Amino acid sequence: MAEVSYRELSLNGLWKNNPAIVQLLGLCPLLAVTGSVVNAIGLALATCLVLVTSNTAVSLIRNIVSDAVRLPVFVMIIASAVTCIELLMQAFAYELYQILGIFLPLITTNCVILGRAEAFACKNGLLPSIYDGLIMGAGFGVILILLGGLRELAGTGALFADMQLLFGPGAADWKIVIVDNYQAFLLAILPPGAFIFTGLIIAVKNIIDARIQARLDSLKERPVKGSKRVRVTGTIS
Amino acid sequence: MALMRITSPHAHGPMSTARVMQNVLLATVPGVIVLTHFFGFGTLVNIIWASILALAFEALALRLRKRPLGFYLGDYSALVTAVLLGIALPPYSPWWLIAVGIASSILLAKHLYGGLGYNPFNPAMVGYVVLLISFPVQMSSWAAPRGVGELPGLLDALQACFTPGNFDAVTMATPLDLLKQNNSLLMDDLWQQNAQFGRWAGIGWEWASLAFLAGGLWLLYQRVFTWHAPIAMLVALALTAALFYDGGSSASGGSPLFHLLSGATMFGAFFIITDPVSSAVSTRGRLVFGALIGLLVYLIRVYGNYPDAVAFAVLIMNFAAPFIDQYTQPRSYGHAARREDNE
Amino acid sequence: MRQVYDFHGGIHPPENKHQSIAAPIADAGIPEELVLPLAQHIGAPAIPVVEIGQKVLKGQLIAEPAGFVSVPLHAPTSGTVSAIEDRQIAHPSGHSARCVVIATDGKDEWIDHSGLADYKSVDRSELLTIIRNAGIAGMGGAGFPTAVKLSVKAEVGIETLILNGTECEPYITADDILMRERAEQIIEGAQIIAHLVQPDEILIGVEDNKPEGIAALQTAAEGTGVEIVVFPTKYPSGGEKQLIEILTGKQVPSGGLPSAVGVVCQNIGSAVAVRDAVIDGRPLISRITTVTGEGVNDPRNYEVLLGSSLAYLLEQADYQTNKNKRLIMGGPMMGFTVPDAHVPIVKTTNCVLAPAETELPAPPPAQACIRCGMCAEACPASLLPQQLFWFSQGKEFEKAEQHNLFDCIECGACSFVCPSNIPLVQYYRAAKAEVVQLRKDAEKSEHSRIRFEARQTRLEREDAEKEAKRAARKKAAEEKARLAAEQGSTEEDPIQAAIERAKAKKAAQAEGSNSAESAGEKLEKAVVTTRKRLDTATAKLTAAKEDGSDLVDALQTGVDKTRAKLEAAEKALREHQHAATTKEQPTEEAKPIDAAQVAIKKAMAARVADADKSPEEKAREALQKLEARLQKSEARLAQGKAAGEEEKIITALESTVERLREKVAQAQSQANETEVS
Ligand code: SF4
Ligand code: SF4
Repeated sequence: MAEVSYRELSLNGLWKNNPAIVQLLGLCPLLAVTGSVVNAIGLALATCLVLVTSNTAVSLIRNIVSDAVRLPVFVMIIASAVTCIELLMQAFAYELYQILGIFLPLITTNCVILGRAEAFACKNGLLPSIYDGLIMGAGFGVILILLGGLRELAGTGALFADMQLLFGPGAADWKIVIVDNYQAFLLAILPPGAFIFTGLIIAVKNIIDARIQARLDSLKERPVKGSKRVRVTGTIS
Repeated sequence: MALMRITSPHAHGPMSTARVMQNVLLATVPGVIVLTHFFGFGTLVNIIWASILALAFEALALRLRKRPLGFYLGDYSALVTAVLLGIALPPYSPWWLIAVGIASSILLAKHLYGGLGYNPFNPAMVGYVVLLISFPVQMSSWAAPRGVGELPGLLDALQACFTPGNFDAVTMATPLDLLKQNNSLLMDDLWQQNAQFGRWAGIGWEWASLAFLAGGLWLLYQRVFTWHAPIAMLVALALTAALFYDGGSSASGGSPLFHLLSGATMFGAFFIITDPVSSAVSTRGRLVFGALIGLLVYLIRVYGNYPDAVAFAVLIMNFAAPFIDQYTQPRSYGHAARREDNE
Repeated sequence: MRQVYDFHGGIHPPENKHQSIAAPIADAGIPEELVLPLAQHIGAPAIPVVEIGQKVLKGQLIAEPAGFVSVPLHAPTSGTVSAIEDRQIAHPSGHSARCVVIATDGKDEWIDHSGLADYKSVDRSELLTIIRNAGIAGMGGAGFPTAVKLSVKAEVGIETLILNGTECEPYITADDILMRERAEQIIEGAQIIAHLVQPDEILIGVEDNKPEGIAALQTAAEGTGVEIVVFPTKYPSGGEKQLIEILTGKQVPSGGLPSAVGVVCQNIGSAVAVRDAVIDGRPLISRITTVTGEGVNDPRNYEVLLGSSLAYLLEQADYQTNKNKRLIMGGPMMGFTVPDAHVPIVKTTNCVLAPAETELPAPPPAQACIRCGMCAEACPASLLPQQLFWFSQGKEFEKAEQHNLFDCIECGACSFVCPSNIPLVQYYRAAKAEVVQLRKDAEKSEHSRIRFEARQTRLEREDAEKEAKRAARKKAAEEKARLAAEQGSTEEDPIQAAIERAKAKKAAQAEGSNSAESAGEKLEKAVVTTRKRLDTATAKLTAAKEDGSDLVDALQTGVDKTRAKLEAAEKALREHQHAATTKEQPTEEAKPIDAAQVAIKKAMAARVADADKSPEEKAREALQKLEARLQKSEARLAQGKAAGEEEKIITALESTVERLREKVAQAQSQANETEVS
């Protein structure tokens, strides 16, 4: 894998091979903490940071570590990164740290991270690995935030509540109330809502893919038809 | 001469899916009348509004799925779902509550799974549970029955539905709620201190239950479904209740009769768990299916978080239906025993 | 009253029998042309024995059976053979098939014929021959050759003979009118059949919606030991399996024959035909057919000559073309529509139904299955039709088979009750056809695999045998040498001498082993010589014992060894012979297989053409194919015998024929399953 196309990497991470809605990796935090946008952003940032760090480290040591011990080593690296992030959050966003709770340390076990380390970083150079971590983290994060937004909106009728947890007191009035007098729709915020909305997002993605495919096919159609007609005179099976 | 070519059989019985559904609708009539008598026009308004919405959502879903509208709307299945949900919801529910419920039923539980015949869960109950989880307050405020509180009139009922902010109905805890919250009173005292209790269960409830029982028996007579699931459920519920009934102490779970005539027991037994699509297929399977629902209803009512349990029990057993089918395949003609034994 | 049992499911479609039962049987007369398909039964089509232009008399044989599962064909009236060609026949797929066409002369001249005065005095096999020669095939619907069904082996032990007078299909009254008008003949037929199969009891099963027929039968049966059993009307109680359950409480095992539970089942129409053949010497040339439906003004039963066209028969009943869009051969539940009205009446045509559109409306479009379970309640085979439907639709054939797809008798009860109007039976037919196809493909590859493996093992075995033979020869030679040495010079060192001789012998043999002698002959020689040696050695041993010689021990071991050699040699010989036999077989098998493959290809093409062939048809085709194979093998066997071929080859051929016969029997069982009167 000498040639790494950054374009390809971006497309993969954000769409074609999106860790959250195509690979369906890391569903546990995805489903658990996306009750609101702020939670989703917090976890998205944390995950992205861990991904970049671990990819960097793994890529650096990829030629030193023997195959036999590589998995434990990767896990150690990831765990250290997570611990760092956890401590940072504890220091700068304590409330959010409390809300995210167990899901922060659990980033260690997020398959996206180990998956990228194993599938990409340990086979590629430093820069592509960093980029891959970043883009995969972004792909994961986008879905996380999208889901958080949808659920928050459906659940409470507002968006961006409690942003001060992450961005400091200045962000306290970022909250946008979309529907006044909204009756809290608990289901969206409860775990079933996470499943339903994830399913819907996947469905929408599949629809878009199908449309694109159909368009590509319709573009291809004509030349194929002609060549088929030529072939008819050949073998008839 | 051009002759028509069709494969056998050429004769067809009188039953049609539309007729099955129509029968179900008809059979709910006595229950609805009794509910209206005791709780006012709330249920009726629920049903009508739910029906309108259901048809609209059904049409929308069919349009999105590019299916012929008339043909599918003609099977009445959306109406049945709407009526069942309308009955299950508390009278005087606000319009948006019903809309969310119907949307969940028709779009989520039915069409997302492929439409009628492919839904693994009972659509009405999915709608109900979505609402129960999301809006516990609205879902647990039942109107007080006739003779206990003021009954709102038809206009009030409409107002309650469409401008919910301006309406304040007299609501009361249902007998099942009371039983759940009770932890110090003997049964008899509980009965005396609360006006909601009637002869065997709640005022109004008991009669509505009997009316649904009557409708259900008529459906049985019409051979719309077989007796297996409903009877199994009722028997299982009564037996479990009898087993745990200690004659009326404060820790009592309620008498078997109380359970049979409370909440959605009868309604569920004859109108919900008999939904063929999401239940087990063979008769033996339906016995198991019904009995387990009965058991679950009691357990959730007495030990769970929610006062009534039919919806949860039904959904849980919907999950289990394919599994039950697997083990209750009937012995076919000329086969010595079930296949599992042969293998 | 005898106890009757109930079977699971069943339905009560409107009976609509009164329309056609009011009038007595009418004679349909002689049409100008009779078209007689050569295959009106399950099994191989008959082979015509007449030529175009030949004059035939009524009852004259015009086609002879082609094998065991086949029936002959007779001219229904006198006339001239005008053609032997492919004509459109009544078949669910709208097939054409080879037919003998007779232009009638209207004289209706009989050929010489006579019946048996006393059927009890003749041999059982002779009776069977008479029935077979009369061309009788099951008249209830499937058309299985009656003689085949009746030739049950004595050791099977038939407890119950059942005559099926159920006629559970709506509209049809052919059996009912037969009971009313010809009850004595039914009873007589029953007795003849009973004489053949020797049952403990004779039952005639009738649904309780035919009180007059029952009364007539009861009067006729008085004092004959034939019991009339009446049971509640329910479709499909006339299905063979269902009827057996009703009358005996026993279920025919899946895939088995009724004889497995000690039952032989016959339609009452066939019983009358048997009686006519035995007592009157009259072959099967006409039958009773119901013509009914609102499309005819004069519904009734006709005694109609086989080969008359539907159009001719409908004409008699005052057919209203404008009222009718669909002609059904058989009843409304299991009958099939015919492509046009000029198809001929055949031996199995019990009813021609010309319904008005309002009477049997075309099915509305199917809705989704709501899994209501009504079909499962109606299914007489206790299947789960909705699951079968689900699996058939999803092409999950393995699961469909697990849910006993093949126990479905295609009675249509499930489709009848289905509120969503799903044509369930159609799905099952398609699924069955597809499964059969898959099985055939699998069998084909399995066959080639087996053939390959057989060849492989054969080669290995041959190598091993060569090795063994070599060893045996060597040892035998040594032994011989030793014995010779012992014989020659008992006083000198016998072992040394033996070794010498053995070496000499071996050298000689090594030269001779390349000779043209076949391996078998060599082995045989080895056996013979070893045996001789054993004899001499034993003799010597006895002599030595008598003398009290000190060589006894040595001789004893010598004898033992020789005996072991002999055994080894004999075994080698046996194995060799066995190998030779098996070697012969694959080549014999190869031919029929190739033929079958060709046939399979043909069948595939045919299947594409018609998706909804009835199971009877399929069984019939299968039988035909088998029949052809059987015949070929039989011919080959006869040839072989005539040519005085080797014993081994003949044995192999015989086993092939035997196997084919078994397959034919299997096909019979399939055919029986589908028969519902
Ligand atoms: S009767 Fe029809 S709709 Fe009902 S379960 Fe059977 S196939 Fe489905
Ligand atoms: S057609 Fe087959 S599945 Fe349907 S009722 Fe008859 S036996 Fe059962």
